[in-house]
Amino acid sequence: MLEKIKNNFNTQTWVLIPIAIAINIAVGQIVLVLKLPVFLDSIGTVMVAVLCGPWAGALTGALSNVIWGIAIDPGALPWWPVAAMIGYMAGRMAQWGFFKSWWKVVVTGFVVALTAAIVSTPIAVYLFGGITASGSSFITAYLLATGQGIWSAVVSTSFLTEPVDKITTAMIAFAIILGLPKRTIGGYPKAQQVETEGQTNNTQMYIAIGVVVLLVLFAAFMLRNILGG
Amino acid sequence: MHERLSFHIQRDSFLHRLNPLTKLVLTLALILIAFTFPWYWTPHILVLIAIIPLSIVGKVFREFSLTALRLIIPAAGFLFLMQAFFQPIGEDVIFKFYFLDITSESLMFAFRNAMRVFVMVSAFTLFLVTTHPSELMSDLTRRGLPGQFAYVIISTLQILPQMQAKAQTIISAQRSRGLDTESSFFKRAGSLIPLIGPLVFGSLVEVEERAIAIEARGFTSRHVKTSLHEIPDSAFDQFLRWALLALIIVSIGLNLWPS
Repeated sequence: MLEKIKNNFNTQTWVLIPIAIAINIAVGQIVLVLKLPVFLDSIGTVMVAVLCGPWAGALTGALSNVIWGIAIDPGALPWWPVAAMIGYMAGRMAQWGFFKSWWKVVVTGFVVALTAAIVSTPIAVYLFGGITASGSSFITAYLLATGQGIWSAVVSTSFLTEPVDKITTAMIAFAIILGLPKRTIGGYPKAQQVETEGQTNNTQMYIAIGVVVLLVLFAAFMLRNILGG
Repeated sequence: MHERLSFHIQRDSFLHRLNPLTKLVLTLALILIAFTFPWYWTPHILVLIAIIPLSIVGKVFREFSLTALRLIIPAAGFLFLMQAFFQPIGEDVIFKFYFLDITSESLMFAFRNAMRVFVMVSAFTLFLVTTHPSELMSDLTRRGLPGQFAYVIISTLQILPQMQAKAQTIISAQRSRGLDTESSFFKRAGSLIPLIGPLVFGSLVEVEERAIAIEARGFTSRHVKTSLHEIPDSAFDQFLRWALLALIIVSIGLNLWPS
């Protein structure tokens, strides 16, 4: 166990982690400037998880939330277990070979989103009674007003909002890793996990983009059904 | 070079002279007690008897109240509004709007939660204002925290402002070349890549260089490193830490006690 944790960390990992945290925060802020309806605040976490392993990913996620909380928005502080779990799960999926082609990355993003939804629910319920300071709480409030229980209301809200964000995050992380020179990647502990299978297939890419578009439409449709109904 | 991200204000006060670990335990104690102690008015009382006096003892009352006004009160206030409106508890409706209503129960619930968040954030702010990050890290390393953790925290605080400045530069540069960051949704989504790309690639190519540089300075060496700067740890510090730990345990115990 301890050996498995240790092999996530070499000097390059330790150097990458602070940069990944800064990437998380800087990209999160760029997204705010562009007023896009996603967070994209865990791209760095996913990159560390994939290149160095689940434990390094979990550490990056947790620290990144702590530093985000200290430096920018204190409301981010209690969510560090969610960020840690995102990193851990992305690392595990990469270990199981789910970071080698576009559609597999989409699957990874989806699994990470489900994990994030499950981990964030108890925090939202116990700490904030289900209503947090984030915009998606409007949906939770509506579901509560329609008579749903608190747990199912919070879980359904996360299931609606998380997948789009996490799949986009995983796709961007994948695109970045593909774009890096092979030489730069070689020094990380789990570099072999991102060797793409065969040619980067154009069809796969189209399938993946199609999946993302469908998901966005699905989310928009569900939102309209829930809020407009 | 950009300034390192730090909130530390150098003053000579009782709070500044405490051992960093003591202050960390104090911060955690304030947060945990505010969240777990079962009495309703705990977080409110903590603000009056702990947070405000501590800021005066630490000689940072002016800076602290400015931060509170600018940052903490808006965040806590927003949470208060969200919860007061949306929490579907209680019968005694005070104010109704569409499917949203404020009941006296949801008002009380929101008030306590907002105060808890206020205590959490102010405790952290006081801790950061009175503690130098390097001092905290060297004290924790002396107590057995792996040096790598200290490196991650300190260098993140250093890299973050540089990265934010770089992001600003990239946004302005791409805008001046005509990149659309304002109009329709798809255009804005499309401009994500030209903004993220240069930022991320630029910082990732430095990694190997940095790794070699710190490796050459004995980063992975297992020898105990000596420190030029001694951090005091008095008997009073130790007493305070144990007392706070006992308080935390009592508070969590009372919370779990079946009532």
